[in-house]
Amino acid sequence: MLSILLWLPVIAALLVGFAPFSLKSDPPGMCLAARLRQITSLFTCLIIAVSLILLWQFNYSDSQGQFNEYLPWIETIGLNYSLAVDGISLPLLILNGILTLVAIYSIGDKVERPRLYYSLILLSNGGIAGALMAQNLLLFVIFYEIELIPFYLLISIWGGPNRAYAGIKFLLYTAISGLLVLAAFLGIVWLTGATDFDYQSISTLELSPKTQLILLTILVVGFGIKIPLVPLHTWLPDAYTEASPAVTILLGGILAKLGTYGLIRFGLQLFPETWRLVAPGLAIVGTITVVYGALSAIAQKDIKRMVAYSSIGHMGYILVATAAWTELSLLGAVAQMVSHGLILALLFHLVGIVERKAGTRNLDVLNGLMNPIRGLPLTSALLILGGMASAGIPGLVGFIAEFLIFQGSFTTFPIPTLLCIIASGLTAVYFVILLNRTCFGKLDNRLAYYPRVQWSEKIPALILAGIIFILGIQPNWLVGPTETTTNAIASATQLVQTYAQR
Amino acid sequence: MAQTLTTLPPSTHEFADIIHRLEAGGSMLPDTPENLKQIIGIYKAYAVPMDFYWRDLLYIAEQVFLNPLPFFKYFLPESYLQRHNHYAGDDAVLRIWRGEATAHPELLAFIAKGKTIPGPKIFHHLLHDRINMEFAEACMRAMFWHGRDMGIGKFDAYLDTPEYKANAERAIKAYFQGNPIMLGLYRLFPEMFIEQVRQLSYYANLGLFWEVMAPVFLEMSDLYDEGKITTVKEAMDFLVNGIFAAAGRPIYHHVYIRGQCYEIVPESAGFTWLYEAALPYVEAVFYRTAPFRGTKSYNAQAEQVPNQQKDFHYGILYADVFPVGTAGIPPTLLMDDMYHFLPEYLKEYYRQHCRGEDDMLIQLGISFQRSMYNVTSAVIQALRTALHYPLDDPNPEHLLINRQFYESQLDRFKRPEARLRDIQRTDYR
Repeated sequence: MLSILLWLPVIAALLVGFAPFSLKSDPPGMCLAARLRQITSLFTCLIIAVSLILLWQFNYSDSQGQFNEYLPWIETIGLNYSLAVDGISLPLLILNGILTLVAIYSIGDKVERPRLYYSLILLSNGGIAGALMAQNLLLFVIFYEIELIPFYLLISIWGGPNRAYAGIKFLLYTAISGLLVLAAFLGIVWLTGATDFDYQSISTLELSPKTQLILLTILVVGFGIKIPLVPLHTWLPDAYTEASPAVTILLGGILAKLGTYGLIRFGLQLFPETWRLVAPGLAIVGTITVVYGALSAIAQKDIKRMVAYSSIGHMGYILVATAAWTELSLLGAVAQMVSHGLILALLFHLVGIVERKAGTRNLDVLNGLMNPIRGLPLTSALLILGGMASAGIPGLVGFIAEFLIFQGSFTTFPIPTLLCIIASGLTAVYFVILLNRTCFGKLDNRLAYYPRVQWSEKIPALILAGIIFILGIQPNWLVGPTETTTNAIASATQLVQTYAQR
Repeated sequence: MAQTLTTLPPSTHEFADIIHRLEAGGSMLPDTPENLKQIIGIYKAYAVPMDFYWRDLLYIAEQVFLNPLPFFKYFLPESYLQRHNHYAGDDAVLRIWRGEATAHPELLAFIAKGKTIPGPKIFHHLLHDRINMEFAEACMRAMFWHGRDMGIGKFDAYLDTPEYKANAERAIKAYFQGNPIMLGLYRLFPEMFIEQVRQLSYYANLGLFWEVMAPVFLEMSDLYDEGKITTVKEAMDFLVNGIFAAAGRPIYHHVYIRGQCYEIVPESAGFTWLYEAALPYVEAVFYRTAPFRGTKSYNAQAEQVPNQQKDFHYGILYADVFPVGTAGIPPTLLMDDMYHFLPEYLKEYYRQHCRGEDDMLIQLGISFQRSMYNVTSAVIQALRTALHYPLDDPNPEHLLINRQFYESQLDRFKRPEARLRDIQRTDYR
């Protein structure tokens, strides 16, 4: 079952890339792109359907990995084809499918080199799914590294004017992230004397505290680049701003989550004892990330850059919650991963529409988009919804996630949590700036000859808005699959810590 | 005409090109087939609701009069729908339109069915599925409010004369005969009632003005359909001729109370159409009006509104036709009225541009602005004919006076809000 999620996108990518469709349709190019988009979305819907079947069959009371698949592969180096999902990875897998579907419709129907574009989108989906399901450390690293190729190409080919610089910067940073993670994994296996890289067979309890600290630090820095944490974040504003909206949705919505996922899965779970040692530091770094992201967002004039900085800030909450390692905070961390993915995708999708229609992202130029006849009224309305969700307004999914985090983290780290709460107030500040400048005011009729927003652009935004709203008023659907797993992680790690303290 | 161009050096005015075009007998609106199609289509779409406006304005001035609760003043009785226009039909004093003298057939069909669902008149009224008389009243109020200091005509000054007050008083007393409350109020606040009657005189004034304009526009539309108007200049010339043909039409205010006619502004007072209705209308409605209290706020203390009424510039020639409506007169109401009667060729034209069906109201609003620049051009040319010299005058001094006249007229469009620059572009939609 899990292999379908891994291989279906790969097969679809090959089909889209190489299948001999008629290229001579009229008008050429555009028609092909539309057809390829249809095929890609069909496969993505299949992927979402498979992940929903997994959710349906998922045992909510089992905290361990489910739907296990195991095939010995290269045993001499300890690499096995080992897949499973648990309460942390399943929501992210579903999110991966949804965001891929949104991304397909986020670039418009006039994409250049459509075969390559849609193939790469599908490959990135497969890569991320593989990383989320991998139960073998080496297999994880392979997927973690391999998805850099499609993302690098997606930024460098379909990006903005400064795409080459942004693409290389992204590649260098994230490749280093991958190398650090690989180094840490090699260290873990070699130093513990494990016979293979299988996640279940590794225990770091026998390692000396100093060794554990070194390995965990390497891991944290590796995943910290991916998240990214301040001061390892400098690749993000460039990559998010230069990449096309579709790629930004995947980058911020799901790829960055591999960093936080990795921290919980491999940082917290493999090094429970040392985690206690580094947790206060991580909480401080997380808080700095949150405050820095919010303050930087306030200073931006480019709406896409503003949303990019807001993304940095919101990822910081996850780190604070992970550092706090209580049942509620871990649940909040996973909820925030999903919530942030949905909200960020909505915001970037809408910012992409604004940019395509209005031809600018400059706050000083945009105005009056709420205008019912010549403006972008639905886009503006959903932008307001996205801003509200991001600022944590009750009734929307952002509130649930942030509330769980603040509630869960406060007992462990009261001051960082309070600072995070203040920063979440700053979120409202920059979204009010954004909405006030872009949506409200008077539309300038010298500029307002914007093309109509197509239904193919509206529907993904409406779907995302619907999910944000439904999960906001029915949060059990969001935390249900995760709760048992995160509770188990929290109690297991605390048990280990208690044991270690004795 | 060639002499004009060779005798005088080129103008150095900001709008030199437009001045040269006017000196050659043209319009402020560039002469292109696209512009012609837009303005003629809009004249037609404007003329049909205008056929309702003038009838209802006269109905209110003549019949509703001082009714303190005029709930049904927009419900035009059959007699006013059947009333013969003096400039159309077989019994016209001057037949401008070859069509019928009674209400336009498209207007009657619209009144009967509306655009939503068939139903009683009150239903259509409350749904705003009707002709928006509020627009016509706003135009009337603009004329009334600016009347005092426009310096055009003598109609407004007449409203302050003892003769007018005596006429008004007779009508007021007759109207409220047997109504001691209203008569008591009149004794207490006579000036308030007189002021209401003055406003009603402006209802009559505007109604009589539009009674001429509706057939003019309908005839232009028919001539265009027959291929007899082929340029913007020809359209403007038709308007100039129409202005002179109707210039001497009397402007009066009669009230009918229990079958008896009370002449508040008698025809014998000698007020005529061009000087007492047309020119004040253009000045008050096209140029001035007042800031529309829509979504945009104006701060008078911050001098966002001019101190002098004569400096007001909120008319259609300056209007931002976007739906928030920063023009003095809510443009959305008229746009909505015209939308019901657009000719098919204009609908097709709008479908091809901007957002097609979605923003047709704005597109037709911009076309309306173009068409009103053409009407203003006709007025400027008519004034030049009346006050100054022919365009082919051999005397260079006369031509210079003509040029100074044009330049002074176009000076009013130098301010940034003016749309004269915009209508020179085809992509202003």
